[in-house]
Amino acid sequence: MPTMTYLQAISDAMREEMRADERVFLMGEDIGTFGGAFKVTDGFIDEFGPKRVMDTPLAESAIIGCAIGSAVEGLRPIAEMQFSDFVSCGFDQLVNVAGKTYYRMGLSVNITVRLPSGGGFSGGPYHSQNPEAWFMHAPGLKIVAPSTAEDAKGLLISAVRDPNPVLFMEHKHLYRRVKGDVPTGAYETPFTARIAREGTDLTVIAYGAMVHTALEATADLDGSVEVLDLRSLVPLDEEAILKSVRKTSKVVIVDEANQMCAAGAQVAAIIAERAFEDLDGPVVRVATPDVPIPFSPTLEQSVLPQVDDVREACRELLEY
Amino acid sequence: MSSSSTSTHHVDVTMPQMGVSVAEGTVVEWKKQVGDWVEADEIICSISTDKIDTDVESPATGRVAEIIVAVGDTVDVGVVMAKIATDARPGEAHASENGVGTGEAAAALEAPGEAGELIGDATDKSQAKRYSPVVMRMAAEHNLDLSQIEGSGRGGRVSKKDVLAFLENGGGAEEPPMHIESPYRPDEPAIKRKPKPRLQRVEEVAKPEPETDVVAGGQPLSRMRQAIGSRMVESLQTAATCTTIAEADMSRIEAARAASKLSYLPFQARATIETLLEFPQLNATLEDGRHTVYSDAVHLGIAVSLGSGGLIVPVIRDAQDLSVEGLAKRIKDIAVRARANQLTPDEVSGGTFTITNPGGYGSIMATPVINLPQVGILDTEAVVKRPVVITDELGNDSIAIRSMTYLCMSWDHRALDGAYAAQFLSALRKKLEAWPTI
Repeated sequence: MPTMTYLQAISDAMREEMRADERVFLMGEDIGTFGGAFKVTDGFIDEFGPKRVMDTPLAESAIIGCAIGSAVEGLRPIAEMQFSDFVSCGFDQLVNVAGKTYYRMGLSVNITVRLPSGGGFSGGPYHSQNPEAWFMHAPGLKIVAPSTAEDAKGLLISAVRDPNPVLFMEHKHLYRRVKGDVPTGAYETPFTARIAREGTDLTVIAYGAMVHTALEATADLDGSVEVLDLRSLVPLDEEAILKSVRKTSKVVIVDEANQMCAAGAQVAAIIAERAFEDLDGPVVRVATPDVPIPFSPTLEQSVLPQVDDVREACRELLEY
Repeated sequence: MSSSSTSTHHVDVTMPQMGVSVAEGTVVEWKKQVGDWVEADEIICSISTDKIDTDVESPATGRVAEIIVAVGDTVDVGVVMAKIATDARPGEAHASENGVGTGEAAAALEAPGEAGELIGDATDKSQAKRYSPVVMRMAAEHNLDLSQIEGSGRGGRVSKKDVLAFLENGGGAEEPPMHIESPYRPDEPAIKRKPKPRLQRVEEVAKPEPETDVVAGGQPLSRMRQAIGSRMVESLQTAATCTTIAEADMSRIEAARAASKLSYLPFQARATIETLLEFPQLNATLEDGRHTVYSDAVHLGIAVSLGSGGLIVPVIRDAQDLSVEGLAKRIKDIAVRARANQLTPDEVSGGTFTITNPGGYGSIMATPVINLPQVGILDTEAVVKRPVVITDELGNDSIAIRSMTYLCMSWDHRALDGAYAAQFLSALRKKLEAWPTI
C-alpha cells in the first residue's frame, strides 16, 4: 500500500475516477496548465486534456452554475474553489439551485465541490475560513471533511459517485503535513464517523484538522480519551456520536470554525437532547471565537484551537 | 460557632402548640443549620402534624447553637427542638458565612475540635446534593443511596466512575431473582404502533414496553394521607356514625345565587349556621365523655380539597357573624391559603361543625365521616334539575322542574338521636326553600 500525503490522496482519487468514468471532469481557477493553487491537479491537463481539466474565469457562481447544468445533463463535474472562502460568490448556485433542484424537479445534481479550507498558515481573514456550517444549514447539500489521506481519497470517490451535490472540505493545513497508507485503486468511504482512537473516560469529537489536534492533545492525558472523527457533517452520524457518549459520559467538541452555530453546536444539541441521562459533566466546546482570522501568526494561534486548549479542556472535564 | 459553643444565653425553640387537640409534631425540614444566624420571627424550621404543615418562627435573634430534634423525628408539644445563642454577634466567622476569616474569627475557624468538623460538614452538604444526569440514572437503576458513595470528582462530586466502582465492589441492591420460565406462552399480541419517544435514550428505544404502568410494591403514603387515614379510621371506630338525608328545593337559592354571582356554598353555609343556633346539640364537640354544646357561636369547618394531595378543614371562627357575602369571601380566602399551605395552626382547629362540599364534582349523595371531636358533618351535594310534585296554596298538585339537592348529614349517635338530626335537616331545608330568611 503506497504512502501518500493528504493532497496526493485527493489527486489520486480524481485521477482514478477520471480514468474510470469519462463523465468525470474538473473545473476551476488555474487548475490546468498551472496545476492549481496548491498543485492538486498538477499534470492533469497533460493526461486528460483541456476539455476535462477546464480553467475558468474568477467567477465561482459561473463555475458552480456550469457544474450544475452539466450534472443535470448527465456529467459528473468536480469544481474547485481555489479557497473555500471564495465559495460565498457561488452561494446562490449552491444553496438555491444545487440543493433544491432534486426537490423541485426530481433532477439529480451530481456535483462535487472541493473547498480548500482552514487556517493555521497566516492566510488572514479571506483565506483561512471554515465555511461548512453555512451549508449545513441549507437542505439538499452533503458535506464531508476528511482528516486522513485514506479518508480523503475514499470520501472524494464517494462524493463523485453520490447522486447529490457534495461539498468536500479539504483542509489546507493537512495537505502536505498528513501522510498515510492509501489503498491503490478506487474505493468508497461511507459518510459516517470513525473512531480515531478508542477510549473510555471522555470523548473528543472533531473533524478535519482538529482530529489531529485532538489526538495530540489527549495522547498523554491521565485518562482514557476516545477521539471521534466525524468525517461527514451532512449526514451527521448521530448513532456513532451517541454510542461514544454513552460509553464515556463526558464530551469535548472541537471546531476550527467560528463557534456560533458551528457543526459542533449541532453535535452538542444532539447530545443534550438524546443523551442527557448519559452525561456525567457539562458538554464542553472548544472553537474559534466569533472573530475573523487574523494575519498575525501570534494572533492567529490565539484564536484557532491549539493542542494546549484542547488538552486543558479535557483535563478539566476529566477532573470534574 | 466559637461563641455559640461557649454561650450561656440560650433561648429554646420548642414544638409549638397547634390548636387544642394536637399533642405532637414532626420536624420536616430545618431551614437553619447549626451556626446559622437567625432573626427573631424568621422561619427556622418546618413541622408537620396530623392537622397541618407549618413553619416555626425563631423566638429570638441569635445564632443556632444546637439542633436537638432531627428531621423526621416526632416529639411532643413543648419539647425543645433547638437552642438559639442570643449573645452571639452577626458577622462572626462561621462555616456557613462565606468570605469571613479575619482576626479573632479566623483564629476560631482554625481552632480544632467542633469547629473543624462543622466546616467539613457544611462543605460536604453543599456538594453532595449535586449529581450529574448519568449518576442520577444509575442510582435509580440500581436503587443506590448516593450519599453512601464517596465522590472523587471536583469538590467531592460523585462521578459516574465512582458509581461504577461502588457497583463493582458489591454495592447497591441485591440482584433480582432469576425469571422463572413458564411453559405457557400467551398469544402474540397485535402489534401496537407507538410513536417513537423523541427524548428517549437511544439504547432504550428497542426495549419492549412494559405491559402495565403499575409499579410493583406501590408508593408509600404521603404524610398527609397517613394523617387523614388514621383520623378517618379513628372517627369511624369512635363515633356511632349515622347518616340522615333530606331533600331541598334550591330554586330560590338558585335565583339569589344568579343575582350575586356566588356559589351555592355560602348560602348553604349561612342557612346551616342559622339552623345550628336553633339546634345547638349538633353545634358541639364530644370528647372524653363530655358533650360541649355551643349555643351562641358557630365555628364552621369547611373541607378544602388539595387535589390528589389530600384535604384540609380550615375553620371559620364566629361564622354566625358573617353574611353570605362575608362567608363567600372567607371561604375563598381559606381555600386559596390552604392550597398555598399558608394556614396557621389555629385556623384548622376548634371547629364545632363541618360542611363538606364535593357536589361540585357531580356526586348527588354521600355518607361523610364525622370530623372528631365534632358531632355532625353536613355534606352538600350537586344541585340537579328534577321533576317534582309541588302543591300550591289551594292544595293543587302539579309536576314542575326544580333545582333539587340532597342534604346528607352524618351525626354521632352518642351525642344525639335521629329525630333531632331529622328536625335539624328539616329546618335547614325550610330555610333554603324560603330564602331570603330575613
